[in-house]
Amino acid sequence: MKKQVLIIIGIVAAGFIAANAQEYKIAKSTGKLEIKEVNDVTVEGYAGNEIIFSSLDFSKEKDKRAEGLKSISAMGLEDNTGFGLSVQDKGATIEVYQLKKMDGPKVKIMVPKGVAVSYVHSSPYGDDVTFKNVEGEIEVSTLHNEVHLENVSGPLMIKTVHGEIEASLNANAKSPISIISVHGIVDLTVPTTIKANVKMSTSYGEMFVDPAIKIEFDKQGDWTKYGSNKVEGKVNGGGLDLTLSSTHSNIYLRKK
Amino acid sequence: MMDYIDGKLNDVDKKMVEQELMNNTESYKRYAQYKEVMFLMSRATLIEPSTKLKANFEKMLQEEIAAMPKQKVVFFKPVLMYRAAAVIALVIAGAGGGYYISRQQHERAERLAMQQQIDATRALILGKINNQQSASQRMVGVSAAYLETTPDQEIVKVLIKTMNEDSNTNVRLAAVEALGKFQQEPEIRKALISALSTQTDPLVQLALIQLMVEMKATEALKPMEKIIEDDNTLPAVKDEAYAGIIQLS
Repeated sequence: MKKQVLIIIGIVAAGFIAANAQEYKIAKSTGKLEIKEVNDVTVEGYAGNEIIFSSLDFSKEKDKRAEGLKSISAMGLEDNTGFGLSVQDKGATIEVYQLKKMDGPKVKIMVPKGVAVSYVHSSPYGDDVTFKNVEGEIEVSTLHNEVHLENVSGPLMIKTVHGEIEASLNANAKSPISIISVHGIVDLTVPTTIKANVKMSTSYGEMFVDPAIKIEFDKQGDWTKYGSNKVEGKVNGGGLDLTLSSTHSNIYLRKK
Repeated sequence: MMDYIDGKLNDVDKKMVEQELMNNTESYKRYAQYKEVMFLMSRATLIEPSTKLKANFEKMLQEEIAAMPKQKVVFFKPVLMYRAAAVIALVIAGAGGGYYISRQQHERAERLAMQQQIDATRALILGKINNQQSASQRMVGVSAAYLETTPDQEIVKVLIKTMNEDSNTNVRLAAVEALGKFQQEPEIRKALISALSTQTDPLVQLALIQLMVEMKATEALKPMEKIIEDDNTLPAVKDEAYAGIIQLS
């Protein structure tokens, strides 16, 4: 038994080390990149036409025993990148899995501006997921990951159960922006010039808004329309749909 | 003979009559009588209209003439007015008719435009919601449905399907919210309550439980108890279900 485990570890390690490549590239400037169950990822937008995957913490030691061998996994995945990631080009979509369940590589992915990115994580082992300068659509659905979105345009469809969400929109913000969480805080930074129809709701948390962001709350007759835990209103006359919700935690809407 | 006296006969006839008158004394006598009668007759016609009569006649004529222009005015003016009135009436009728027709057309065009708008909105909503590639586009569709004031059968059907089956939580949650607006519709109420038993995403569960409380849906007590009994349910959802049960029962 011990021997078998050792062999498996050996094979997996061999898989990692067998491939020399620290980068894995796919020529693609449109379509959708689907990242699934990869624990720790940074996605960066750039002006190019290749999706470039790289590992940030990979040891370069080679396993001579694994030379000429291929890494396999119980999920039927294939490590075709050389650093523990399986990348499958399915035409309109590119699916990315990691081979390890609990640990896994720290991955960086460069994406061209026209590529939409979705990130799904449903195990408790999710760590951080970060998006920087991404101009396309971002879809995130996680249980535990902390989600960071820096200088992104949207559309954003972000959901976590336990993880905190921090997002900063740039001036090209595109509708819809939907950021929801059960237990995590929702912290969004927007340009003061943003035109938006804002919906904010929390059941057991608080809502904070920068005074520079003027929300005209919808009215019902003489009464401002407050639900039990929900406000709706317009910023700068209205525009893109902006939904922020945290059931058990706070919402922060701040200016850039 | 008469014609002879009047001098209407031609030369041949005239000679024949003169010969007859010369040869026949009888005929001549008659001729003389005739001539006298005719002379008297002709005189009578000349004399009869006496000067008084003539004056009267003249006066009447003058009066008539004097009256004529007056009558003319009285008679002619209405014609002008009638004509003017007729023209105005025609113009008004024309304009009115034209306006009516154009208004009808306008209304029809408006109705058509509205129908087209509704169709376009529905097509947009359905098109967006059915976009399997992009969650944000489905979200746009659901958000547009949220703005609808009356529930459209087809859209409601798609919203229910989206609430139950969409791969993205944000979209499912938005669908719950859009359906929640029409919670008084029996079909939608039923769908919302039954979704409580099938949804496993904590965010959607929370939204549904809160909606049940808002709807005062006592039918939802059983499915809420089931949610509490389920080991896989997130504690926060269980808490919400407890709170919901307390408020509903």
